[in-house]
Amino acid sequence: MENFLIGINALCSFDALLAIGAGVIWGTVGGMIPGINGTIAMALLLPFTWGMEPHVAVMMLGGVYCGAEYGGSIPAILIGTPGTNAAAATVFDGYEMHKKGETGLALYLSLYSSVFGGLFGAIALIFLAIPLAKIALAFGPAEYFLLALTGLSLICSLGEDNIFKGIWAGLFGILLSTVGFDPFAGSPRFTFGLDDISDGFEMVALMMGLFAISEVFRQIQSFDIHDPQIQAQKSDTSMPKWSALHKFYKVNIISSIMGVIIGAMPGAGATVASFLSYSWFKKSSKDPDSFGKGNPTGVAAPEAANNAVTGGAMVPLLALGIPGSNSTAIMLGALMIHNVKPGPMLFIDHPEIPYGIFSSMFVANIFMFFVGVACIKFAIRLTSISKPALFAGILTLVFTGAYAFNSEAVDVLVAFLCGILGFAMRRAKLPHAATVLGFVLGFIMEANLRRALILTKGNYWNVFTNSSITLALTLIVLISIFLPLLKPLRKKFVVSKTY
Amino acid sequence: MCRNRKFIALFLVAASLIVCVAPFQAEAAWPEKRIEMIWHSAGSGGDIFLRSLAKAMEGKVPVPVIVNNITGASGANSWNHVARSKPDGYTIQGVSSTFIASPIVNNMKVSFRDFDAVARMFVDAVAIYVSAESPYKTLGDFIEDAKKRPGELSITGGTAGNIEFIATRQLMKEAGVNVSVVPFEGGGDGVIAVLGGHVTAGVGEFAEMSSSVDGGKIRILATFNKIPGFDYQTVAEAGFPQVTIEKFRGLIVPKGTPKEVIATLAGYFRAAMDEPGFKTYYESNHLVPAFLEGEAFYKVMEAQDKAIRESLGKK
Repeated sequence: MENFLIGINALCSFDALLAIGAGVIWGTVGGMIPGINGTIAMALLLPFTWGMEPHVAVMMLGGVYCGAEYGGSIPAILIGTPGTNAAAATVFDGYEMHKKGETGLALYLSLYSSVFGGLFGAIALIFLAIPLAKIALAFGPAEYFLLALTGLSLICSLGEDNIFKGIWAGLFGILLSTVGFDPFAGSPRFTFGLDDISDGFEMVALMMGLFAISEVFRQIQSFDIHDPQIQAQKSDTSMPKWSALHKFYKVNIISSIMGVIIGAMPGAGATVASFLSYSWFKKSSKDPDSFGKGNPTGVAAPEAANNAVTGGAMVPLLALGIPGSNSTAIMLGALMIHNVKPGPMLFIDHPEIPYGIFSSMFVANIFMFFVGVACIKFAIRLTSISKPALFAGILTLVFTGAYAFNSEAVDVLVAFLCGILGFAMRRAKLPHAATVLGFVLGFIMEANLRRALILTKGNYWNVFTNSSITLALTLIVLISIFLPLLKPLRKKFVVSKTY
Repeated sequence: MCRNRKFIALFLVAASLIVCVAPFQAEAAWPEKRIEMIWHSAGSGGDIFLRSLAKAMEGKVPVPVIVNNITGASGANSWNHVARSKPDGYTIQGVSSTFIASPIVNNMKVSFRDFDAVARMFVDAVAIYVSAESPYKTLGDFIEDAKKRPGELSITGGTAGNIEFIATRQLMKEAGVNVSVVPFEGGGDGVIAVLGGHVTAGVGEFAEMSSSVDGGKIRILATFNKIPGFDYQTVAEAGFPQVTIEKFRGLIVPKGTPKEVIATLAGYFRAAMDEPGFKTYYESNHLVPAFLEGEAFYKVMEAQDKAIRESLGKK
């Protein structure tokens, strides 16, 4: 208790509050811009934190982290382009809601869920940092492999009319993820000798191509300049009633729990968390077909999850002194420049830092609500822009973002080619979302399967029966593969019975 | 036309004079403008090393010393940029052993051969560790058990192709034991796998795990480098003097930089080692001072290049 007072004390200064506020604004704006994610926003801010007290510096970076995880959802909803990788799952239903005219509900629901997830993560961090660290340690290679597989089983249900279309598109994504650096042999593979892709395809460029560019192509194709209806889209941009948002609290609680746990695991991160919670709700829904067509649960689930990750991700950094993600690695750098080392001793040597972070995460999420409302008010003007100007703007933003992420020209080309690919997939009714999912989870799955196989000396059976966690996950995978297969049969059965 | 030609002739004469005189002036007055040190990623351990060094040089060097980050392509952008910049000593590249491994692993065209070595400053101490709950107390215990149960134990050494990984394999070969070597994405992931009991032991930078050692969660079996202030057994003392790792941190400049400039720079860096603020930085981060100048540092890079190529089976 005394320690929490130290934390609140560290927080209650003008400097600290100003730093958190500025951090949240910078993070949210950065998150909104495709190509700038939380890690890059934090890295850009890092040199400015060196003059600060170490706890103020980390509080500011914490604010950026929270803001960026939220900011990514705004372009995801308004233009169908995730501002950050973790907002990719928000595109599925958020953008559809916007197209249906439920823009206000989508945007504010995403803000509500993000703040909910963020606060949940902060509270979990305060009370559960030590037990969460234990859960993180229980996950070894075999467990990570099955976690990725659980997420991947979603591809079975992404192909609407034909589950094999989802599987094919997902396998193609996994194939794309194998291009580049082989994690074990230590050499490039499937690069056809091209140096530019020896690091593999950049996820940001790939997502922008498959989501944004292909969507612009699709809309241009069916575009009639003389049609007055599509000069600007009509949509309801008003703030929805509190009760309309609050009824998603159950979704948010479950997603937040998943987010915190996955956040605490090094190597998984916000993108995996948002995909897993999305797939969880799609699979457990009574009407899974409504997902991907503008179901608000499809916005609430990933957004609550990816913001809850911020709390969880602090666990390995503070409890073990090991950064579990790129974002927390930047925080580690900020502490190291001040000769402060995170880890178990931090709680004893510098209690103002961990407890300051705990309380600042809480405050940052409250700030985020107000920053988010302001950003929404500003971003909503995008809906009144005429379509040709909007398309040109999106393409400019997307190509700039693809380049800015790594300052590499090849990423612009990758984004463009993925745009064409995505467009072709839409025409063939192949779910491009399954390709993205395969790409995101493919590498985690492959590296951990190979790692697990080294440990079991090549015995596949032992990988699946490694622990009770792997057994439980295997069961979930089997259920989610066979349920959609059985569904057409069941329908037939029901139909034949009624007639 | 005729007048024009005269002007050109005059201009050429003047230009050639400047070109002839310029190098002498530059050497006499070096440094006369700000010095830029470059690291490829912001906020990483190496970036902080350069920034602390720049701070230590403040006031001792007559010109400002700044640190810049050129990110992208896992370091290649930065290395290419510096390799191609003017060899005048004003653009300096900060490097670690990654700079040797990464071009080989990723088949990059840039390598240490495009640079002149200025100085090696430190060696990152590398240690073999187990979880505090593990029955092994020394490296000998671990190897003895590994001999009894061939193939049963496992060890992680960070990313495939990095220098810890190579040393791990070499050590197991020297000890004549069969242990599964499991690569992880980074040193941090390896520590967590060891803490979680998924892998028996690990090899990694001491600085990365020192807080877990202080917290009583991790036990050091042996270290590859003698760490000042600690009495851990070294790998050489445990009976394997052939296995060495020197995970260096140093500074290099584009090839063709004047020898005098390199010597002046190396002098600045040597002086920085005694600066009290910098001392606090490197001591608290467990960097082992290992100052080496010019040619001697270049030889270290050559030797590491050879070892990595052999381990990966690349020419």
